[in-house]
Parts: sequence; C-alpha cells; structure tokens
Amino acid sequence: MTTTAADSGPAEPAASAPLISVRNLTVSYHVARTGATLTAVEGVDLEVHEGEFVTVLGPSGCGKTTVMNVIAGLVKPTSGEVLVDGRPVTGPGPDRAVVFQDYALLPWRTVFDNVKFGLEMQKHLKGDGWRDRVQEAIELVGLRGFESSYPKELSGGMQQRVGLARAIVAEPRILLMDEPLGAVDALTREVMRDEIEKLIAATGKTVLFITHSIEEAILLGDRIVVFKSHPGAIKEVIETGLARPRSERSVQSDPRFLELRDHLWDALQAEATQAAVAGGS
Amino acid sequence: MTATVSIEALNAPAPRRPRAGLSRWTWLLLGVIAAILLIWEAAVSWLHLVPEAFLPPPTAVFAAFLQLLVDPEFWQAFAFSMQNLLIGLVLAVVVGVTVGLAVGWSPVLRFTVAPFLWLLYSTPKVALAPLFILVLGLGNESKIALVFLLAVFPIILNTMEGAVTVHASLVSAGRVYGVNGVALGWKVILPATLPYSLAGIQRGAALGFTGEVLGEFLGGTGGLGHMLEFAAYQFQMDEAIAMVIVMVIIANLTLALIAVLRKRLAPWYDDRQIMGRT
Repeated sequence: MTTTAADSGPAEPAASAPLISVRNLTVSYHVARTGATLTAVEGVDLEVHEGEFVTVLGPSGCGKTTVMNVIAGLVKPTSGEVLVDGRPVTGPGPDRAVVFQDYALLPWRTVFDNVKFGLEMQKHLKGDGWRDRVQEAIELVGLRGFESSYPKELSGGMQQRVGLARAIVAEPRILLMDEPLGAVDALTREVMRDEIEKLIAATGKTVLFITHSIEEAILLGDRIVVFKSHPGAIKEVIETGLARPRSERSVQSDPRFLELRDHLWDALQAEATQAAVAGGS
Repeated sequence: MTATVSIEALNAPAPRRPRAGLSRWTWLLLGVIAAILLIWEAAVSWLHLVPEAFLPPPTAVFAAFLQLLVDPEFWQAFAFSMQNLLIGLVLAVVVGVTVGLAVGWSPVLRFTVAPFLWLLYSTPKVALAPLFILVLGLGNESKIALVFLLAVFPIILNTMEGAVTVHASLVSAGRVYGVNGVALGWKVILPATLPYSLAGIQRGAALGFTGEVLGEFLGGTGGLGHMLEFAAYQFQMDEAIAMVIVMVIIANLTLALIAVLRKRLAPWYDDRQIMGRT
C-alpha cells in the first residue's frame, strides 16, 4: 500500500507482522494412473499485510489456485507452511472466506439461504441477529428483492453477487477470490470490478484476488504477484502505485497503467511462449 | 449501490416455455383411444372376427372392471400387492440411496464395488424369481424380496451417478464455510444427489411392481397377479383384461406420484437434464 486514498481507504497496514505469510510452499500431487508426481507449485514465498489488495496473475495451470486453496485450508502443503495471523493453517476457518469462479452456490437454496450458508461456522445463530446480517450482506451486493430467488433464476453476475455476499456475511478478515469474474460476461465484469473495489475499500478487508486478466490485476491490486508455470512459482511481484479510488476510465489513461500493462504483457507472453515450446498445456 | 438499476435490467425474467396447444394434443390422444376402442368393439361384437371367449369387447371389459371395484376379494388382493410393493420399495430406497451415496462418494468403493453393481443390474433378475419362491416360500417374503431386488439397482446406480457428479466446488464451498463429515453429506451431497435418486426411485418403482406381479404369478397365495392368473385359468378373459388395466393404472399412478414428489423435493432441478436417465 504505497498510495492509499486519502479519505476512503483503510488504515495503513501495520508494518510489523503480515496477516498472511506463505513460506517456501511446495504442493505436489501423486498421480495414481501414471505413478508420477506432479508439482503444482514450488518454493512460493509471499506476504500479505492487513488491508492489502493483492492480485495474482498467471497463465492457467500455474498453480495460483493451489496456493489459494492452501491458504483457505482446503489443500495441505507438501512442504513449507502457511501462517495466517501468525498461526499455521490447519483447515478452513471463519477468518477466511472464498469466492469461487463457478460461484459454487447450492442450487436448492434461495439467495437468502445461500448467503446464510456463509454463517454455518458461526454456531451462535441464536436469536434473530443473524437475519439482519444476512439481509445486510444481500443489500451490500445490490440484491435486495431477490432474497427468495433460486440461483438458476439469476444471471451469472447476480449469482456471483450471491457468492460475494456469502463470503462477506461472516465478516472474515481475508477474502480469497478465485477468478470471481472469470465466468461473468464482459459488460457485467466491468461493473462488478468497480463495485468490488468500492466494497473492499469500504470494508477494509485483506484480499487475494486471482485473475488472468492483466487489466483486472492492475485495476484492483495494490500489488501484483505474477506466476510462472512448470512448475508453478512466483515470477515477480510488482507494486502498482496507482491512486485510489480508481475508476476504470481514469486509470486507463494513466501512464503508469500503460507501463504496467506493457510490462505484464511481455512477462506473460514470454511465459506462454515457453509453455508452448515445452509442450505444456 | 449505484449499479442496482443496471442489475435489474440485466435480469429480465426468463421467458416461460409455451404451453399453448397442450389441450389440443390431449384431445387428439383421446380421439385415438376412442377410435381403438371402437375398432375393438366392432371387430369382436359386430363383425365376430375374434371369438369373444378369447378377446371380450371393451364393453364387457368395462363391466368386469366395474364389478372388480365392488368386489371385496379384489380389494383384499389390492392391499396384499400394495403392502408388499411398499415394503419392498422402502427397503430398496433406504439401501439404494445409502449404498449409492457410499459408492459414489468413495473412490475405493467405486473401483471395487461398482463393476459388480453394473453386472447385477444387467443380470435378468426375473430369471431368479422361481429361486426366490423356492427359498422364501409362497407368502409375502418372496414377493418383497423380488420387489426389492428389481427396484434397488436403478436406485443405487442413479444415486451413485448423482454423487459422482456433485461439483467439487460445492464440496469446497461446504468445507470453507465449516461443513464437514456427516454434515457435508447431509447438507451438500444428499441434496445435490436427490434429483438423481428420485429418478432412480421412479424407475425402481416401475420395475418393483413388475417384480410383485411376477412373484404372485409364479407362485402366490394372494395379490393382483394371483387374481389375474386365476381369472385367466377360469377363462374369464373380461376379468383378466380388466385386471391388466388396473395394473397399468396403478403403475402409472405410482410414477405420477413420484414425479410430483420430484417437483416438490427438487424444484431447483431442471427436469430435462436427467430425462435421459429415467
């Protein structure tokens, strides 16, 4: 966070301990069919401070989702470790929430009940207080009036709003977003990109946001983590240094934006060419 | 939220499927049925193309049908059959859904047990019916066993299929938000699989009814199949055909009942997605 917006931005992160620290993380899978060992990510080191918005950019299959899954507590590290708030991650916890690329809503639950699902871990659903929280989250993502709709009755963008509401309803400190706008149509994506930025700025959450859109990575991130593949590892980390609040239009004519875009474009293209030569996917 | 207006614009309600013309098809169908009945009546009663002893005319069958409805013996047989069918089906549902979920959910079971399930599914279980009657006797037990045996495999295999196709991200979402173990099965896997199970139950019920009638036919002391066999032996063809019609009605009512159940229990599911499986 080199350039926090003067008024609406969250407080400066404490210079001391990072909220998330990934230390020399390696994850490999054993492929039963061939007997081979597949390394998804190797030697990843990453620190994310409270209130930071970090975007993760890389070609598909570079293991960026694996890193996120380890932080979420869904995947165990093969070696290395992940600490959240100084404690090693042993499983999912209420301090972390995930927004999935394919929304992952429960189709048999209404919007209201899907958002309520985000409070499953909070066993203190006594009284009616939780109802207000669910309603508040629904209104925050602009879905008032759709509480009793089923996911299949909603457009992709609206379904992801439900996914977002479900993630923020329990007020986690960390939001892990795995290409949340990847399956949303282009027009909706631009609208939602701005909304996510505003929402995060207002709530001051720490965000790890996976994307394979260069523009998205620049527009949203305080820092951009660029991944390479075969095996997945961090290639470089870049501070965006763009002022907030950012709007799509103002940023896109900023010379810094153009500079970043060219740089990232070259980096990713080199990566893609290498993968093609190596016969990778 | 500033973008609320645009959201609503993006979410124009999906157009409903046109339902007009349905009644016209119904009328056409009724017309075809009436024509068939008329030709049947004409061939037997007026033109005497077929001896009435072999194929009684629809009017005679209808009379026999009405007589059945006031015959206490019929209702006794009806209760006998339905009781066995119900017990056999309930057992098949409990066992089928449990086994199907377990096999679908566990890769180990899927690779070791599932091949045998498919093998058994494709075995003509009807051929085993005489064996069942020999071992379990002429009473209810052999019929319940036959209903169970015929009904359980489509339920197992459909449930298995459903459990396998539960999206990995739904399971991840469950775990991220704190749902584990039994709760994961109860809150995520089971509801996600339910439409598939119900499709299997629908098919299982139809096959189970066949099992019940077959069991009574081959060696029984009661039930609709037994009554049908008795009527045929006595050459009361009008009553025999009326019995067959009763069975068709029962089978279709059972299917319709489960279809209603599917709509009630899984309204979120698009029927067309699993039509091919039923």
